[in-house]
Amino acid sequence: MAPLLEIRDLHASVGDTPILKGINLAINVGEIHAIMGPNGSGKSTMSYVLAGRDGYEVTGGDILMNGVSMLEMESDERARAGMFLAFQYPVELPGVGGMSFLRAAVNARRIEAGEDEVDQLEFVKLVRAKAKNLSINDDMLKRAVNVGFSGGEKKRYEILQMALLEPVLSVLDETDSGLDVDALKIVSDGVNLLRDPARSMLVITHYQRLLNHIVPDYVHILAGGKIRRTGGKELALEVEESGYVGIDDAA
Amino acid sequence: MSVSTMQPNLDQLAGLTGVRAGALTRWQETGWPHSRVEQWRFTRLASLEKMDLRPASAAAVTGTAAISADLPKNAAILSFSNGVLDVADLAVLPVGVKASFLNENDTALAALAASVPASHPVSDLSLAVMTSGLHLEIAGKVDVPIILAFTGDDNGVSSHPVVSVKLADGASAVLAEWHQSAVGLSAPLMAIEVGDKARLDYAKVQHDSAQSAHLAATGLTLGEGSVFEGFQISVGGQLARLETHVTLSGENADCTLSAIYLGRANQHHDITTNMSHAKGHCLSNQIIRGVLDDSARGVFQGKVHVAPDAQKTDGQQMSRALLLSRKAEADAKPELEIYADDVLCAHGATVGELDETQLFYLTSRGIDRDTARGMLISAFLDDAIDSISHLGLAAMLRPVTTAWMTTSNHSEAGDQ
Repeated sequence: MAPLLEIRDLHASVGDTPILKGINLAINVGEIHAIMGPNGSGKSTMSYVLAGRDGYEVTGGDILMNGVSMLEMESDERARAGMFLAFQYPVELPGVGGMSFLRAAVNARRIEAGEDEVDQLEFVKLVRAKAKNLSINDDMLKRAVNVGFSGGEKKRYEILQMALLEPVLSVLDETDSGLDVDALKIVSDGVNLLRDPARSMLVITHYQRLLNHIVPDYVHILAGGKIRRTGGKELALEVEESGYVGIDDAA
Repeated sequence: MSVSTMQPNLDQLAGLTGVRAGALTRWQETGWPHSRVEQWRFTRLASLEKMDLRPASAAAVTGTAAISADLPKNAAILSFSNGVLDVADLAVLPVGVKASFLNENDTALAALAASVPASHPVSDLSLAVMTSGLHLEIAGKVDVPIILAFTGDDNGVSSHPVVSVKLADGASAVLAEWHQSAVGLSAPLMAIEVGDKARLDYAKVQHDSAQSAHLAATGLTLGEGSVFEGFQISVGGQLARLETHVTLSGENADCTLSAIYLGRANQHHDITTNMSHAKGHCLSNQIIRGVLDDSARGVFQGKVHVAPDAQKTDGQQMSRALLLSRKAEADAKPELEIYADDVLCAHGATVGELDETQLFYLTSRGIDRDTARGMLISAFLDDAIDSISHLGLAAMLRPVTTAWMTTSNHSEAGDQ
């Protein structure tokens, strides 16, 4: 059986600058992988390349989901195929109502799957139930997307979207950045609720502390656009202890 | 610039008297303004000069085209075909509204002539030709929306409906113009007088045919403590200019005059306003939003004039244009002329494109790119539409922008 996500010798550039220089990674169904790395190692670039953002050009290699290459797929097609990116910096959409945004996203997936669009009233109930787990109140749900949200609220709203879209592969890009201890716990608990043998996650982080809450099966160290080391969850502790020194320019 | 192909066709008008004779003389001396005339710098009428237009003399024989299904259900509709009023419709006018004809009402005609934009080609030409002249006097509280519906089928004619509306002191009314005509040129001339402590909710939709020109001139006078809440949408036509001159002639008047223009292909939309604060303690607010695709062009010219004694004036104006194509163009010319020293006036104008980061955020949730663009454009326009407080008018206007977006040709020229 093919891995859920397979990254083969992936090279990618932003503008003329090569950032990713040969990434190899395989994530099986149900696994949680963490990618750690110093600033500038290519972590965020990797999340955008996976999600298919314009301007992040794949110059070599391949990304396969369930054995199918995603390189020719636009970002919306990848999302409907089951990929989800939780943004490091969620984007404010003034004037775009939160509920209609959530409904549009959920309906896009349902239509792709040949299902009926969600019933409006039932959807409101569903959103409220999932929002409660993440301490998101009705006032936040009524506002325009991410507008007037604190940093922590934005991150919780990302996890709410993840809970509603039920992706098979979630990429969490520095979801811990800007969170205090309490907010980190709420977000992590929200993510852990979504752990499922049928779903995989790729958790990108600079710090080990997130991985105390979302415990990974594998940890990869990304530096200089390549994965330098791979290990179990204990590798994260090792990095916490000794830092990225010595890994950065290993090759 | 007195040479116009319309000229020979005006000969039939010989014999006019009073203000109409004066208007004809001025028109014959000046004709369409040359592009060197400052107020017409962004909107050139060369294409109009080449059209051999005859003033319309009769309503369309084929009957009026169906107009929007979104008009308020209880509305009283007055139909103009090729600029000619169907007088039978006057029977539907609600209690409190008295109609007369401008060619039989010298007082109203003189008042209109004094209120509309002065030395203006549309004022002069339409006053002279006047395919129909209607005067409405409104007293008391009239809840039934009055809709002026303009249709037409002859692209060889120009239509010149002239309408004056006078709200008595303390009166209130709801008035809308719906233009959906295929005439060569629509040149509606309007004068609206809102009496002391009166209120008018007003909307205009310019949805003429793709080959039509639409040049509108409106004079609006607001009395003491009166409220005018107006919204215009320019979406049809090849060349359109909606020009409104407002005089705040009594203290504590409150004027909202917002507009949206939506352009694609090689359409040209021009929103021109002249907000004159003649008395103090008045409020004026203008929210202008434009969306332009393909090679369309949008113009907003907004002048706010504050007289020396008009202290405590609050005049606000904000124009934002969204370009969906590299070939689209938006011009804004805000002007403040302030002669009083204790005022609060602000204006701003921006031109921008859709935000790629916002688009990516939406598409990364599985929403296709066209839908995502539509969501962002709607959000941009709702900012203006949400300011309309009359529910019936809002319900009439909203589908106009929605329809424009769903008929989008999905151009992605910005990415080329």
